[in-house]
Formats: sequence, structure tokens, C-alpha cells
Amino acid sequence: MTAIRTGVCIALCAAFIAGSAARAAGHDEAGMTPEEHAASAVVTRSTAHYQVPQIALVRDDGKQISLPQEMNDGRPVVLNFIFTSCGSICPLMSQVFGQFQQRLGADAQHVHLMSISTDPEEDTPERLTEYARQFGAGPQWQHYTGTLEASLTAQRAFGVYRGDKMSHAPVTLLRAAPGQPWRRIDGFITPDELVQEYRRLLAGQ
Amino acid sequence: MSWFRNIGACLPASEPLTAARDAGGIRRLPARLAALLLASALGSSVSAASAVLPGEEIYRHGILPSGDALHAEREGGIHVSGHAAACVNCHRRSGLGMREGRRTIPPVAGSYLFHPRAGPADDLDLPFVEGMRADRDPYTPETLARAIRSGVGADGKALSYLMPHYALGDEEMAQLIEYLKSLSPGDLPGVTPQVLHFATIITPDADPVQRRGMLDVLEKFFADKNHYTRAESPRLHSSRRMMFKVSRHWQLHVWQLTGTAETWEQQLRAKLAAEPVFAVLSGIGGTNWLPIHHFCEAQALPCLFPNVDVPVVAEEEFDNLYLSQGVVLEARLIAARLRENGESSAPRRIVQVFRTADAGKAGADALAKALAGTSMTVVNHALDAGAHERELRAAVRKAGAGDILVLWLRAEDVARLAAPPPGVDTAFLSGRMAGLERAPLPVSWRAVTHLTYPFDLPERRRIRVDYALGWFRIRQIPVVAEQVQADTYLACGLVSDAINHMADTFVRDYLVERLEEMLEHRVITGYYPRLALAPGQRFASKGGYLVHFADGVGTGLVAEGGWIVP
Repeated sequence: MTAIRTGVCIALCAAFIAGSAARAAGHDEAGMTPEEHAASAVVTRSTAHYQVPQIALVRDDGKQISLPQEMNDGRPVVLNFIFTSCGSICPLMSQVFGQFQQRLGADAQHVHLMSISTDPEEDTPERLTEYARQFGAGPQWQHYTGTLEASLTAQRAFGVYRGDKMSHAPVTLLRAAPGQPWRRIDGFITPDELVQEYRRLLAGQ
Repeated sequence: MSWFRNIGACLPASEPLTAARDAGGIRRLPARLAALLLASALGSSVSAASAVLPGEEIYRHGILPSGDALHAEREGGIHVSGHAAACVNCHRRSGLGMREGRRTIPPVAGSYLFHPRAGPADDLDLPFVEGMRADRDPYTPETLARAIRSGVGADGKALSYLMPHYALGDEEMAQLIEYLKSLSPGDLPGVTPQVLHFATIITPDADPVQRRGMLDVLEKFFADKNHYTRAESPRLHSSRRMMFKVSRHWQLHVWQLTGTAETWEQQLRAKLAAEPVFAVLSGIGGTNWLPIHHFCEAQALPCLFPNVDVPVVAEEEFDNLYLSQGVVLEARLIAARLRENGESSAPRRIVQVFRTADAGKAGADALAKALAGTSMTVVNHALDAGAHERELRAAVRKAGAGDILVLWLRAEDVARLAAPPPGVDTAFLSGRMAGLERAPLPVSWRAVTHLTYPFDLPERRRIRVDYALGWFRIRQIPVVAEQVQADTYLACGLVSDAINHMADTFVRDYLVERLEEMLEHRVITGYYPRLALAPGQRFASKGGYLVHFADGVGTGLVAEGGWIVP
């Protein structure tokens, strides 16, 4: 045990020293200077083909649903992953969803906004309903929880799983119709940008 | 100034005038005295204890001194206000920031904003936190106000997109900046260059066997930590004073409380004054942990994973962390099962048996509360201290045909049960209280009893718990209360891991925040399948199983369904 402990000790110290040296030169671990890091509201767009996993989730009204059925009712889907205890990233993403709803106006009734919890043990339907209320969720925007396994399966299926909820990154996923590819947006987009993406996606059909 | 309205709500009533509010090294005395003078001048009936800086209301709650909500905007027209706009959400209570995914949120405690420009970061004599910046001109009050209002950094470059642009008047801005200065890590209580001081708190009504088992684990854990630490060895140094991990001697202070619960907070204040500690680790209680919980919250002293059957459920608070909700969780497991079954059948009568002076009372109360609003009637039979086998059996016999019995009993009482009353085909037993799979449940009960099991099942937790048991063997610790001792060992490991990652940054709030961030990564989680915390979550394990015995003898269990999160 001693050797391991000492080894860990040395390794940690080495890591600190290495990290400190990097910081000493003004670069962070990503190789970006703090200015670069700070200034970048980098948004990357890509297209992906995801398989909707055959899992059961629990909707914020308490009903158990099948994710494929819920997701493949014909409507365009806009999807993200949140947890209600999140302090920074999720409230911002949810605000964007809320404002996206508003800016769509009458068109909002045609879209299905879905937010899946990455902390299902904490995020009960009641908590999700309250969270949804805070962001002005309309009838077309639902939040989902369920078992831990189901949440992890969903996260993995859509390529957002990062090991634990705190390691998450902002991701928004859009799909025009069942069977179509997904538009993946990594980073923080504004409500206007999301509306643009959405209209572009529908038009491109 | 209407922030006085808030003072009453914020003040802990029991804090005496002279106690210095030592929240992770915050020095607030001058501001507090000023506030007190102002309070008495205005004839406020506020009790004379620690006052809250107005900047704290802005920082932690998004409330301006006027009582209005704080407002802010982000690029793209996103508006936030009130608590959602509060600085604490990203910069945390410690003001030291955090890491979320690949993003690092920088510290905003004054000393990190106002320090002179340094070359390499290691020339800064500040405790290391991720996101700290050395090679930047210090903020001035003007440039900091500009950063907060317009998102422009001290270097003239734009801050992160995540940072909102705040609407703050000049006076409000000054108050906020004053608060940021107060967050600077100052004197660190319970921390010297050589020693890290911890306390463990024990109530007089704690079970003596569990208490001994817990202390054995703590004492040996601390001895282990110190065995591999030479307090007299030089700090790992470079000529440029880099950030490094310092090995400190861990010292345990056992705070054994005496007498009645009303005196405990006073005893704790005296002990803390005499033996300043950095945090409270593990510990063990009986039925009432509230005085300890309240003390730690009032002192901003982390109280980490005590062994309690009856924790204090206050998720919006900060300093008290628990492994689970104990009997309260068990009550909710039972309620979840009853509600599940109850929808389709006729209303049932729930008959609860417990001892008034034990944790079962809290369990029974929690179950009654959870079933309020259903068609089920709850009847309680409380046994006092003088009740023995005769009274116990009489209470159990109060359940009639069709009733559901809920037994909140320790092993000694469980062993004394006579056969189930005729017609009672469903009983629940608190697994936690009765000894889990070792509960001496008589054969006649085994077919009808469901145990609440707020831990991982024995075969599933074997590998994780073998780790602890192996260590107990090597350290020659008698295993007299396996679950309590495993939980104690787990608490030690969790805190030790968090401290290892904190380098030299011994700020109490920061310890709690690091635990919140790190917990989910942990693989060795003892009796629990999974641990997780977050702001607004104070209980690391949130569910359990319902099980029954596999047969008439032995400790084999059968799980009824999967892990339930009630």
C-alpha cells in the first residue's frame, strides 16, 4: 500500500507541476490561452445518425412511455439533456428552448421539444414539472426521467455521455422527421440561431 | 435598507454575540459590527448575532438590497433574474469557481481578482484553484464593475459567453464587490502547515456497540494517514513556490456530547472554540441529530456523512452531507409500495409499532406523512422505555385481519416477536434498524414480511465491501457493526479523496463543493450502489430495495423488483 500511495503522491505532484507549467505559460489544458477560451462561444454543427434506443422513460406527467414511440410520432424533434440541480449550463439551454418556443409562435405546436434528465434519481416527475414551469414550457415541451440505466442508455445513444452529470457539455439535437438524420449542435446557440437551424432543417426536407 | 428584513431569516438564533463567524476563513467582523450598530440605531429587533452583508444576498440569492430581483442579460437576448441570476450558481459559495465538463469557471474571491500581475502562476501566494489567472493586470473596482456589467475582462478582452451582463447600480455594485473581497481565504481554521484537524461528534444516546466500531475505524484510518506522512518532512518545494500537495498530519478530535439535547449546541460551540477544526467527519447519533446539524450549518462547518438513522432533511442547506435519508427513506420506500398496490384494492389500515425513544418514531411519522391524502388509515402503537416483550407482543396483536403491520424495531425486539396476528398477510420491517439480512426475524414472520433495504444487495456489494472488510482485517478492527463501520470507512475515503484534490486550498465551502463534484466518479461506494450529490442535493444515496427472506432460516434474500427511488 505504501508504494502505491507514494506513487500516487508523486504522480499527483507531477501532474500539478505539469499543469502549473502550462498555466505558467498562460495556456490551459486545452492549449487555449485564457483569452481564446473566454472569447469562444464556439458552436459546431454536424449531422449524425442515431438509433433511438428501445427504452422506457417516465414523462413529467408521471406516465411511463416508450422512447421510440414518444420520439417518432411524426413531429420534428428538438432534444437536449439536462439535470435540475445544474447551476450553469442547463438553465441556459432550457432558457434557449423556452425562447425558441416563443419565437416560433404558431409554428410551435408542430414541434416536439424533449429534455431528458441525466440525474434521474434526483429528477422526479414533480421536480421536472417545476423545472419546466420555470422555463415556461408549453404543452409541446416535455421532460423525461426514469431508471439510471435508461438515462445512461439514452445519453450513450445520442453521444452525450461523459462519465457523470457534472462533466456534461451543451448539446442540442434536431430531427425533422422519424428516419431522418439528426442535426447536432455542440455549444451554446442563441434562440434565434436555433429557430434558423430548425427552419433550415424543415426546409431541407 | 430593506435587507434588514432578510437578516431575521438568515440569522441562526443560537449564535452568541461574541462568536466569530468563521466561515471558511471569512473575516466579517467589521461589517458585522457596523451592521449591528445600524440595526440597533434603527431599532431593529433582530437578534444580535452574525449579520449578512448585502452583497451576500446579491451573490447567493440574486436579491438586491431593495428586495427586488437581480436582472442580467446574455448575448442572444437571454434574460435571467432572481436566483437563476445569482453568482453562486457558477462561482459557488466559496467563490472559487468550479469545473463543469470542459469549462472552468474562474474564482471571484477578491484575492483572485485584485492580486498584482504575476509572471508564472506559481509566483502567486494564493491557494491553487482551476481557472485562476496570474498573468493579468489586477481588476480595479471600475474594471470589475465593467466586467460584471458588460462582460469585458481586466485585459480588455471579452469574458466567457456564460457570464451574464448584470444590471447593478453603483451602490449595489460596491456592496457586491465588498462581498467578493470577504470571500478571500484568510486564516484557515483547523489547518496549520503541519496539521489538519477534524472532529467527530457523538451523541450520548448513540448505540454503544456502533459507537465503538465507528471509533475503531476512525482512529485506525487517521493512524494510517499519518503513518505515511512525516509531519516533519519538508514541504515539496521548488524555488518558485509552485502549487504542490502538502502532506499534513490528520488529527481527530472526538467530541462526545453529554446531557440533554438542549445543551448540545452550547457544548459544541465551546468545543469548537477550544479545538478549532476544519470539518466534522462521520460521527454517530441516536434519534435527534438536529442540534448538531443546526450547529454545523450556523458555523458554516462541513459535517460529512454522520452515521444517523434519522438525518435532518433540508436539501436547500449546504454544510451537512448525509449518505442517505435513513428511516425517512425507508418510510418512503414503504409508501411507494403501498401506493402502488393500494390503487386497485380496498383501503387498508396500517398499524405501526415502534419505540418512542428510538429512530422508529421518525420512521413512523415519515410514513404517516407520506400516506396522508391516500385512503389508508395509519394507527401508531408507541412503546415506551419500560415496555418489554409482553407490551411489544400486545402492540403487534393490535393488528387485525387485513391490516398491514409496519415494524420499526431493533434486533432485540424483533427476536421477541410471537407469531404474526391471524389474518395479517403483509408486514414491513425496517431493514436498517433490524439488522438487514441478519435481522433475527422468527420463521413464522418470514413468509409475510418485506424488509426495506436502503443499501445494495449483499451479493452485489460484495466486491466493494470486501475492500473495507479486508482493511478492517489488516488493521485488526473487530467487525461489530458492519454497516456502520463500512459507512464510516466510506466517509473517511470520500473526504480523503476530496482533500487530496484540494492541494493547499483549505476552504470549508470548497471541501463541500469538491465532494459534490467528485462523488459520482467514485467506484468504491461501500454499501451503496451509487453515490451522487449536486447543489440542492444533500443525500448521496437516494433509493433502496424491498426484499424478503428466501427461506425460513439463514440470511438469503430475494429482491422484490429493482432499485426504487421513491
